Amino acid sequence: MIKQKLTRIKNEINQAWTVSIKDVRVYYLTPGMIMFGFLMPFFMFFSYSVGSNQGASEGLARLLAMTSFFTAGAAGPFIIPTERRIGTYDRLLAAPMSLLTLLLGKTVTGAIFAMAVSLLALGAGLLIFGASIDQPLMAVAGIIFSAFTFSSLGLIFGSIPTTKPGDVQMPSTLLRWGLLFISGVFVPLSQIAPSLRWISYLSPLTYAQDLMNHAVVGSGNISPWISGGILFISGILFLLPSIRMHHQARIKGV
Amino acid sequence: MDTMIKVENLTKIYGEADSGVLAVDHINFEVKQGEIFGFLGPNGAGKTTTQRMLTTLLKPTSGRIWIDGKDLSKETYHAKKIIGLVPEVSNVYLELSGWDNLMFTASIYLVPKKERKSRAQDLLKMFGLWEKREILAENYSKGMRRRLSIAMGLIHEPDLLFLDEATTGLDAQSARDIQGLIRQLNQDGTTIFMTTHLIEEANQLCDRVAIINHGKIATIDTPENLKSTVERVQSIIVAMTPNGQKHGEGLGALPGVVNASKMGDKWRLYTEEPSALLPQIMEYAKARDLKIVSLNTLAPSLEDVYLEITGGALGSTEEPSNPNMQNQPKKRRM
Repeated sequence: MIKQKLTRIKNEINQAWTVSIKDVRVYYLTPGMIMFGFLMPFFMFFSYSVGSNQGASEGLARLLAMTSFFTAGAAGPFIIPTERRIGTYDRLLAAPMSLLTLLLGKTVTGAIFAMAVSLLALGAGLLIFGASIDQPLMAVAGIIFSAFTFSSLGLIFGSIPTTKPGDVQMPSTLLRWGLLFISGVFVPLSQIAPSLRWISYLSPLTYAQDLMNHAVVGSGNISPWISGGILFISGILFLLPSIRMHHQARIKGV
Repeated sequence: MDTMIKVENLTKIYGEADSGVLAVDHINFEVKQGEIFGFLGPNGAGKTTTQRMLTTLLKPTSGRIWIDGKDLSKETYHAKKIIGLVPEVSNVYLELSGWDNLMFTASIYLVPKKERKSRAQDLLKMFGLWEKREILAENYSKGMRRRLSIAMGLIHEPDLLFLDEATTGLDAQSARDIQGLIRQLNQDGTTIFMTTHLIEEANQLCDRVAIINHGKIATIDTPENLKSTVERVQSIIVAMTPNGQKHGEGLGALPGVVNASKMGDKWRLYTEEPSALLPQIMEYAKARDLKIVSLNTLAPSLEDVYLEITGGALGSTEEPSNPNMQNQPKKRRM
């Protein structure tokens, strides 16, 4: 019995990984992913950073947080509705694996994409702009945690029962822009009025940005342990609405 | 023979229970192991909805389903392992090659690593795709994608295969190849549940067929038994020159003709007494100086049964020559 369960777990991990690798091969170079996942964070970063007096390291911390936020969250809202539209999602749903496995596979897809683009951003920051990193291991952990959490957040929008990526992109982009402005990315947390700061604490991006500040600049407002813990728990909690919406889709027949 | 699928009071309502759309209405049926079971019905009858419920993709509003003796609502994993699914749309990854599509499917359907390559090779050869295995599926023709989609549904050697409109839209040769394959799979022991609106295909392939209309199963039987239920209505096909096509109204008005429908340059006249109608046709032609090119009598087809059950008049695929006769077949007793 235990052996059977272990085999099942091993199979499910393999299946989740297979789904991710397939997504990487099929979708990473599609225009939707390049636009929303790759170019968007860089455009956003430069539009707010050009002309400001920030140092290279502060800029790199901001770029890393924005990259993981936008890039990781781009996969789910693009891939799942596309697969629903062309019918390939049915093949995944009908396969002998749990819904959680499928969703974890999709989460890994977005996370890998975010980690790869973050690595590019990191390389550019270090080599071209001369930034330095105060705590490299924390930076790596921060990128990984942020990538998984924001990929899981993007999955919520991808799970909306629709076959049109356009139906999902708008609410997804609206939420992400909203979070961007309240999360201490453009206005440091320390400069936000204490009476309004609680709004920032509602956003997971706040913790990702603060974690990157600790890792790259060496200072932040929240304990890195708390930020890491909140990102981790948020990542798990964000899977719950996705599961619920998939069950609703199974009832609605989308 | 063991039961592979058992369905009891299966119902699906899209939307709210009291105001939604009733797609499947308390249907009951069984499919035996080793059978080719056809599920026929017009568009919107509930065929695909039923199939999606049987393959775990759609949650029933009420009712129960057993697959291979196991309750689908409780033992989904077992059902998913033994089911192969080929939906109406060829759902292949266009950005992957035929080979990679099969390898991916083999992996998520838990085909042992050692067997994946040999199975993929066998299937690609069987479907005539071996030479094109490295080409991206986006460069495949419609028929090739269909064959690849079926191969993907077979890679894990399912005990139960669901085929949704397997040959619709394919050229005659591809359709014939796939029909041959369905027979071969069935001979090898695979139970096949095929949804189709191609009645002749169901007639040639299926051990039994169910006809579903407006969400309810109207009848289930072997094709031959179903045909015998409308045996009393036969038809005569007549072709005449010159301008035989223009005589539909006159032929349709002959005594004993239930309905008349145009078939190219011919007329098909439905009647309960062909022997009585034949001399009248001869007389009709002689009186108008027409030459009879061909004259054939036909027994009822499965299509006649289907049209009878789904509410279409016999021969209603063409405009009836006599509007007054349009609804006559519905009045007849089966």
